Amino acid sequence: MSVPDSGARVLIIDDEPQIRKLLKVNLHAHRYDILEAATGEEGLLHASTLHPDLIVLDLGLPDLSGMEVLQQLREWSRVPIIVLTAKDREADKIAALDGGADDYVTKPFGMGELVARIRVALRHVAKSDDEPVLQFGELKIDLAGRLVTLHGERVKLTPTEYDLLKVLASHAGKVVTQRQLLQQVWGGHHHESDSHYLRIYIGHLRKKLDEDPTCPRYIMTEPGIGYRFLAGDFLDF
Amino acid sequence: MLTVVLKAFDRVFDPVNIALIYLLPVMLSAMYGRIRPAIFTAVAGVLAFDFYFVPPSLSFTVADLRYLVSFSVFLAVAILTATLAARLKQQLYYAERREALTASLYALSRQMSAITDIRALLDNVTQVVSRTIGTEAAVFLPDENRELTLTSRSSPHSDWGAGKSEQAVARLAFEHGEPVGKGTNTLRAASAYYVPFRTEDRTYGVLAVNLKETSASFSPDNLRLLEAMADLAANAIARVKFAEEAKIAQLTAESERLRTALLDSVSHELRTPLATIAGSVTGLMEGDELFSKEERMELLTTVRDGAMRMNRLVTNLLGMAQLESGMLRLRKQWCDMGELIGVALAHLKAFQQHRTFKVSLPDELPFVLGDEALLEQLLVNVISNAIKYSPDSSEIRIEVKSGFNRMTVSVADQGIGIPPADRELVFRKFYRSHAARHVTGTGLGLAICRGIIELHGGTIAAEPNGGKGTIISFTLPAEQTAE
Repeated sequence: MSVPDSGARVLIIDDEPQIRKLLKVNLHAHRYDILEAATGEEGLLHASTLHPDLIVLDLGLPDLSGMEVLQQLREWSRVPIIVLTAKDREADKIAALDGGADDYVTKPFGMGELVARIRVALRHVAKSDDEPVLQFGELKIDLAGRLVTLHGERVKLTPTEYDLLKVLASHAGKVVTQRQLLQQVWGGHHHESDSHYLRIYIGHLRKKLDEDPTCPRYIMTEPGIGYRFLAGDFLDF
Repeated sequence: MLTVVLKAFDRVFDPVNIALIYLLPVMLSAMYGRIRPAIFTAVAGVLAFDFYFVPPSLSFTVADLRYLVSFSVFLAVAILTATLAARLKQQLYYAERREALTASLYALSRQMSAITDIRALLDNVTQVVSRTIGTEAAVFLPDENRELTLTSRSSPHSDWGAGKSEQAVARLAFEHGEPVGKGTNTLRAASAYYVPFRTEDRTYGVLAVNLKETSASFSPDNLRLLEAMADLAANAIARVKFAEEAKIAQLTAESERLRTALLDSVSHELRTPLATIAGSVTGLMEGDELFSKEERMELLTTVRDGAMRMNRLVTNLLGMAQLESGMLRLRKQWCDMGELIGVALAHLKAFQQHRTFKVSLPDELPFVLGDEALLEQLLVNVISNAIKYSPDSSEIRIEVKSGFNRMTVSVADQGIGIPPADRELVFRKFYRSHAARHVTGTGLGLAICRGIIELHGGTIAAEPNGGKGTIISFTLPAEQTAE
């Protein structure tokens, strides 16, 4: 998990020169190739001509709003995008994630957190969808046989619980919004009030995975946003 | 009539006695009638006396000229008595009137001390004046431009008082501070009497009385009454204005206090971590070769901690500003308190500094309806307080209890505790307990907690944790059952 993706090209779209410098120096140290853009327009241009492997996009851009850049990018590209957001703007984060962003970090952020998210995003793009077994330490999910074991012992899950676990685990390390979960597990369109079901099932799933919600190992809550499977240990600003 | 009665006593009384008895009807008619009938009675008495009792009887001639003297004396005495009686009666009348005026003045004065609304007060004045004096009354008050406008009147249907001429005269009274109009030296021809109400330094308005209709003269009593009422009204208005000004001063002082507290607090709380960051970083930059790896790490950790502290301050300030502005909109969802406690604890991992946490949840934990992000902030604030004010290696216990429709979360620490006097005050903005002065903080954390809790319709309170430490507990509305 700590093999740097050397040579991966990262495009930074941010109007603040200090942030660009900060990211450039740090990501360069992690062996990434850095491209910069100071405006949304410039960013779109670079994205279409220089083909980065990942984009770090500031939502608070002055000219084209970050959301517009995101929407335009997603019209033709599946490149992983990580957005930089300000604190207390849950609605913005959800809109960005549901609008196609892969993950987010909130300013001020710890570098480790950003680098981890970049890695996760790149890994998800790289891996093929045909991985039959997902393994997370003592937890093993056999997708082919729809079998889940913990410490070698079989975990009995209802179909819904299994689907829920599958969605979370397939996005391991990435945040999944409530809406995305509802959509992928229950299908169809959903209301915010449907988060009730989601919580209930997450609760059941946690119990079956022998997980204490106040000290979770696998399923981390991102308040107001959704869940993240196996976040790893990072310093939260 | 009396003659008939007296004739009967003729033999018994002397003529002198009879004469004196004739005075009686005179007095009676003076007391119950007026002076003219009394005089008539006197004259009639003399004639009757002469006719019936003075020899020769039954004639108006007088035999003895000495009786003429008696008659004149009798007449004089009778008339004097009549006059005196009549005057007495009139004085009694005036005294009664004065007493009535004083009583109404007293009543008005008592009403005025009860009324704090100037409008109602002035309406009262015009009503009482109008009633007592018997004519229309009106009050003029200055508006924002110091123009006199008709503010209240005793009879709303007449248009006396609204005219330009009345306004002009009222203005004269207002500016001079002296009564004007009928009965005064100024503008005698005016049909009304205008008296300004003033205290020593200010004139507050003008009271006007319409004397056009009344033919009765404007008695000195009425004049005095008007002046007394004007004084009363002036004092009452002055009192109301002072009360308003005092309230404004108090509010201003309070917001001054908050502003000063805010500036002091923010200034200190920002500059301290800034100082550590600036110092550490410049130290590293300028003397890089001097430091060992561990020392470098220590300085860098200081920088990181300083940044985190500033971040928390900014978060708190923003949170407070949002709560104050009322702009905060809750994104209500069903939340799992257990999950949120987990998030808060993860968030505070770096600050935990050897504290041990014990969390106890009930088996069936109902959901709470609330804004997840805000509830998380609430937990972070409460738990970080518990950490801040308790010693290393102490235990912090978090307990969740669910009751009927409510959930109670309590965070108990074994720290310095909160003195009883401060237990309610700590939830005030910028309030810091004296006992906590050695610990850094803005005094905003708990105030924000209270704000968030109140938005959710819950309550929060602090109580002592046995002998040592504090328990902060808050309640939130919750579902009935977990399902």
